[in-house]
This record gives sequence, C-alpha cells and structure tokens, in this order.
Amino acid sequence: METQSRFINAVQVVEFQGRLDAHQGKQVDQKLSEVRNASNQTVVNLSKVHFIDSTGLSVLVKGVKHQREQNGDLVLCELQQPVRIIFELTRLDRMFQIYSTEREAVQAFQ
Amino acid sequence: MQKHKLRIGIVTTYPPGAGSLNEYAFHFVHALEQKQEVAEIILLVDELPPGQRYDQPDLNQLHKGVEGSTGTGEAPVAVAPLRFVPCWRFNSSLNSWRILRAVQQCKLDVVLFNIQFASFGDRKIPAALGLMTPALLRLFGVPTVALLHNIMETVDLKNAGFNYNPLIEKLIRLIGWLVTSIVLRANLVAVTIPKYVEILEKRYGAQNVLLAPHGSFASEAMPPSFDLPQGPLQIMTFGKFGTYKRVETLVEAFHLLQTKHDTALELVIAGTDSPNAPNYLENVAKQYANVPNIRYTGYVREEDVPHIFGEAAAVVFPYTSTTGSSGVLHQAGEYGKAVVLPRIGDLAELISEEGYTGEFFEPNSPQSLADAIGYIIDDPERRIEMGRQNYLAAQGLPLLEVVDWYLLHIESLLKK
Repeated sequence: METQSRFINAVQVVEFQGRLDAHQGKQVDQKLSEVRNASNQTVVNLSKVHFIDSTGLSVLVKGVKHQREQNGDLVLCELQQPVRIIFELTRLDRMFQIYSTEREAVQAFQ
Repeated sequence: MQKHKLRIGIVTTYPPGAGSLNEYAFHFVHALEQKQEVAEIILLVDELPPGQRYDQPDLNQLHKGVEGSTGTGEAPVAVAPLRFVPCWRFNSSLNSWRILRAVQQCKLDVVLFNIQFASFGDRKIPAALGLMTPALLRLFGVPTVALLHNIMETVDLKNAGFNYNPLIEKLIRLIGWLVTSIVLRANLVAVTIPKYVEILEKRYGAQNVLLAPHGSFASEAMPPSFDLPQGPLQIMTFGKFGTYKRVETLVEAFHLLQTKHDTALELVIAGTDSPNAPNYLENVAKQYANVPNIRYTGYVREEDVPHIFGEAAAVVFPYTSTTGSSGVLHQAGEYGKAVVLPRIGDLAELISEEGYTGEFFEPNSPQSLADAIGYIIDDPERRIEMGRQNYLAAQGLPLLEVVDWYLLHIESLLKK
C-alpha cells in the first residue's frame, strides 16, 4: 500500500492508496500509529482508496479512539462511493467527522 | 478531564449456562472487560439449574479491578470487574419485567443484548415476550443496543425446530414480523451480516441498524500447529444440536467413510442438545448404535475447547439452515482447521466475505458430505493449506477490536 503524509498547519494529513483491508491492516495501523505520535490532529484522505473491509475500518476506529483520548481527533475526507457505503452500513459514518475535501477537513481543526 | 467510565449491562447467557450464544458472550465479555472506558460489566444472565453457579469474582477485586492481558502484545491493563445478576429464566413469560427490575437496581449506563430469536424460550409466547425487553427498557429511559444474531426472514422454520405447517408458518412469520419490529425499538440493533441490514431497512424501514463484524475469538496467540495427534483421524463437529444443527447426515457420511477408508477414523460430536431439542443426542446415539468409533463428549468446558479443536483433522458444520454468522467457524479458524460446510446461504457468504475457505456439501446428502470430508483427510497438504487460510481469516478482526466499534456507538448514543 502506498501512503503519503504531510503537515498542513500542524495537522497531520495522511493519504492511503488502494485497498484498506486485512492484508494491508498492519501497515496502515503502523502508519497511523506514527502519525499519532506526531500530532493529535489527523486527517485521513481516502480519495485513492477504493475498497475497505472490517479490518480497515477497525484500524480507523482504533485511530479515532486514540486521538479523542488525547483530546484530538481523526477525521476523514474525500470518501469514494464504495467506501462511503461501507461506512453507512456500519453507521461508522456517524462516528467520524467526514468532509468532502481535504481543505475542509484541515480547516475543521483550525 | 477524566472521562466517565461506563457501567454496562449485558443480557445474555453465559458459561456454565448452556443456553445458545453463551460462548460468544464469554469471548465478547472477555474483550470488553479489557477496555479502559468500562467501569463495570453486569451480566444479566439466566438462572442456572440447581447445583450450578456462575463464577462470581472475588468481591475484594470487584472494586479495584484486576490485571489482565490485552492480547495485543501491549502492557497488561486493569480489567473491569464483572458481576453476575441471574434475573431471567428460559421459557418464563416474566423475563422482561424481571430484567427491567434488575436493570433499575443496577443503575446502568447502557444495556447490551446478546440475543437470537429463541434466546428467551422455545415456546413462542415466552420467546416473543422476552424479545420485547430492549423496547421496554428503552421506554423506561435505559439506552439499549441489541446484537441480534439472526433474523426471522432467514430462518428455515421447519429445520429450526418448529413444526411445519404452511398456515402455522405464515402465522409464525407474522408474529416474527411483529416481534422484529419491537426488537427494532432498541436504540441500536447490530447484526453481523450485510444482508440482514438490507432486509431490516427495506422491510421494516429501520434506521437504527448497523453492521458489526462477528469478530474472532482469537487473541494474538502463537500460530497453531497443523500436526495431528497419533491415533485415528478425528472428524469433529461442535455446537448445540437438534434443531438446525443435526448430526444424522454426518453420522451416515462417517459410516460411508469408514467403509471406504483404511485409515482409522473417529467422529467426535462435541457439545450438547440445543435447549430447544432435549434428548436429541441420546436418541441419535441409540439410532446409530451400530456405527462404531463415534465419541459424544457432552458439554465442553471452555478450557477443553483448544484440545477438542486442536486434535481435529476437519471440523464439520452439519447445518440444515443457518440462523446467523457462525461462532464455530471463527473458532475453527482460530485453531487453523479445515472446515466442511453445507452449500447454503449465510455460511457461503461469510466464507467469501471474511476470507475463509472450506469444502462444501449438499445438505442432507451423506454421500456429498463423505466426499467433502474425504477431500480433506485424504490430502494432508490441502488440509494444512485450508487450515492456514482459515487461521489468517480468523486473525482478521479479533473481538477485542470489534468491541471498540460498540463502545464508539455507545458513546455516541449516550451523548444524544
């Protein structure tokens, strides 16, 4: 899985690409763990993720729990339709702050 | 700022109680008690038969928590104390009121229900009345989350232990529709199969249903050994039998296998009668007294489960219908076992969606089942490969992570 991360105004933005599934779960978890150490404000850009399964969701759940425990948050942006459907099916769309664009997501922390 | 910790009630069966879903409850609770958001878990369980009792933790530890392992390789964490409150009885019509009274006395933040359609009884009225409990509690201001392991629409009533008559079936389905509508009065209803969400939303207009993974019972244990013990190859089935889990076809398939194989074989029927089918296994044992090398283990204690699964060459699911995602499949995966499954609805879906693999057989066909078992026991490499894939699938999402989903939903629910 390809990942990119960058800081925008003290907000850590991380971008995954491809499938967020059981095979990639550990790698994604590790990446989010690194990101968490750098900031308690995380934006996960899912614009290039076209598939997510329960393991992928679980990694994000773990991430959001951790950030909120640190009085921060992990928010999501630019969900593709297949990914959005899974979030709706699990009602996790109501547990995360989800934004249409990365810019909006970053601004939410300002 | 210190976060408010939750006092969570769970209406469920629980070992040593032998009611359905007791094993799932055991693992779910074990995962939940390790979460730091949880102050106390109160298990609102069914009353045990005389001579049995729940393993009530030491009262001194009740208030200070005990150390446990997270199962994730992290440092041990304080484990939330457990308390048992036996407050309902299988087939009693008073369960709803008794549970309500217990919940009011316990002052809980939220109550979870670990239930299926026959959780509260095999007689229709007590079963239906019991299923009204989530709605009743909500009416009294208690937030409720029901984990519903099956839904009426996918139950084959004939095979699930109800007498078959088309008129009675229609009536039962109507009652089922009403009861489901009432269960959906819980604040949230979690199901483990995507199709269930679709059915509940379309047929009932439900907007409070969510998909939650069943979760595996595995912690981060060492990968299992795929070696088998010396002695006969064991073909094992595990569960509560007599309704939709019936062993007649399996015993007949085993008989066929024994006549065709030189290898010594043993059929291990691990578990007890379903509460809905008393004396079922005793009758099977009498009916097939002429088939040698069958071992009936009776109730399998939690500490004996690894042994039973570990020695099996194949785990067979002799289901005639499915009423939900199978905990036994996740267990088989945890122990790296090859599995043999019927070619019917939910199991096939679960297999493909969660990464498991298995040999399939036509339900009610001993020959088809014997062939499917034969493919596994005749080919050790295939058996090991299947076991390895199932082990990886079972490692996918442990219950320890699934309970985080529930906690997130509960926190959101309580904020409203």
